[in-house]
Amino acid sequence: MLEKLMQTRLFKWLDERSGAEAIIKSQLTEYPVPKNLNYMWNFGSLALLVLTIQILTGIFLAMFYKPSAALTYGGYTVAFDSVERIMRDVNFGWLIRYMHAVGASSFFVVVYLHIARGLYYGSYKGPRELLWIIGVVILLIMQGAAFFGYLLPWGQMSFWGATVITNLFGALPVVGEFLQQLLRGGFSVGDPTLNRFFSLHYLFPLLLAAIVGGHIHALHVVHSNNPEGIDIDKKDTIPFHPYYTVKDAFGVGVFLTIYCYIVFFNPQMGGYFIEVDNYTPANNLQTPPHIAPVWYLTPWYTILRSFESKLLGVLAMGASLAILFFLPWLDRSKVRSSRYRPVYRQMVILFFICVIVLGYCGHSAPTPTLKLVGQIATGYYFLFFFALLVLPKFEKTKPLPDRV
Amino acid sequence: MTDQADQSRRNFLYVAAGGMGAVAAGAAVVPFVASMMPAADTLAAAKTEFDVGTVEPGQLVVIQWQGKPVFVVHRTEALLKQVDGHDEMLKDPNSEAIPEVQAEWMDTPEKRKYRAIKPEYLIVVASCTHLGCIPLFKPTPGRKDWGDSVPEDWPGGWHCPCHGSLYDISARVIKGSPAPHNLHVMPYKYLSDTKVVIG
Repeated sequence: MLEKLMQTRLFKWLDERSGAEAIIKSQLTEYPVPKNLNYMWNFGSLALLVLTIQILTGIFLAMFYKPSAALTYGGYTVAFDSVERIMRDVNFGWLIRYMHAVGASSFFVVVYLHIARGLYYGSYKGPRELLWIIGVVILLIMQGAAFFGYLLPWGQMSFWGATVITNLFGALPVVGEFLQQLLRGGFSVGDPTLNRFFSLHYLFPLLLAAIVGGHIHALHVVHSNNPEGIDIDKKDTIPFHPYYTVKDAFGVGVFLTIYCYIVFFNPQMGGYFIEVDNYTPANNLQTPPHIAPVWYLTPWYTILRSFESKLLGVLAMGASLAILFFLPWLDRSKVRSSRYRPVYRQMVILFFICVIVLGYCGHSAPTPTLKLVGQIATGYYFLFFFALLVLPKFEKTKPLPDRV
Repeated sequence: MTDQADQSRRNFLYVAAGGMGAVAAGAAVVPFVASMMPAADTLAAAKTEFDVGTVEPGQLVVIQWQGKPVFVVHRTEALLKQVDGHDEMLKDPNSEAIPEVQAEWMDTPEKRKYRAIKPEYLIVVASCTHLGCIPLFKPTPGRKDWGDSVPEDWPGGWHCPCHGSLYDISARVIKGSPAPHNLHVMPYKYLSDTKVVIG
């Protein structure tokens, strides 16, 4: 199909003016990919798909959403009412909004699995350090975009979530209060905050799209890692197209089946994807009885809560994300894949469990037991990274194969 | 590899899978395009109720219907007389040119002339059929009140300030105007003696 298209006169005309043929060859039909990738390598293309869904549905939602905290005759606010109008009056508005809300959670599911794949198979190691760093930047921007977006419905969780997070910045010494007012545009979360968060919520995905381009470019320079974690002989590669386009398309089919099921039959996912309290309009005089961020931010929320000192909690939370940037240099082992690193394999699996435990603790109401569990998990979170510095001294790695 | 594969079977699967994908993508476009069409609350505002009894004799009132301006004129005996005697000046004296300028109830020459269910209350869309400006109400005949913005044999009616279109007191367009048609008549009916529902 593609070959036939590339022989048409129109394509020839395009090629002479854009070099399209060279691009298609180097990036698709002759781009070498290891032949032994497993299904964990599907999540990159899935993340790109979800980003596209988010940008598309977001553009349409912005046609109907109004970022204003002004009161309406019904006693609610313009923003809250405009979201309800999307749900009730706009044709297929419910579908587009649920696609966007479920898309946000799906994005994090897919990206967290993508990151876990990178951790397990050592994809962050040389020569892929820059690829990993760009990925961490993408994670941070995603979390920012999700946080800004969560304020927009102007429900109770929106309002109090934004209040709590903007207060975090206030905990920083010297610049805290300045930063806090800069974010809020006032002395508390209010109409100016809502306006700028909407603007930033529109900006961040555009940044994402650009940086994702950089991520893919960086990947195509150093090429994919593989489950064995060894450098690949040219003879053990196959072209991206058609082999991996078909495999990715299969992954897209599986993903869309699950995604559509959730969108159509369980869009709120029992309060995990859309919190029930957010259907109560924002009230700056009453905090909901139990307040927790959406599930994808809860691990970091637990790290924040694990410290008695507010400043220490904020710094630990920042450090837990910042440390990801240094991972390629913290891990001194020459062997990439967990398949040949028996101790690292145990450690990284425990790390995944630890992040899930952190997430569970952050989603639950605080109790003394959970607090202790959260503190232990927080401890292991950091221990994991620093243990990597000395691990090669103790770990006996298995011999690597020459070829896959 | 290639020479062992059943190419026709492979091509069939290729086209079938691609076709299904194209159908799915096409179906996914539908809700997005539909979302841009008028929403339920906009459609709910598609009808307007109005009490024409509130319009004083000789007075013009502009009301809104679907966000468009609508003229309601209470025509006095004198104004109703101004409808006659200048048919040769009109592009479409019987309002027959296009569906938008007529209505089912225009079943007699009288009704086609007065263009109203009750002749004393003329209700028409207030957008000039040229480019949509709202014409100015200049009901008295001749140039006495209006200067040379209207012709010498002005029968009284509307003058559009944008490009000079002229309409008589039944909102029928006068020859020489850039506007192609009479002002449109939208669907309306009387719920009671003076209560009108438009739309």
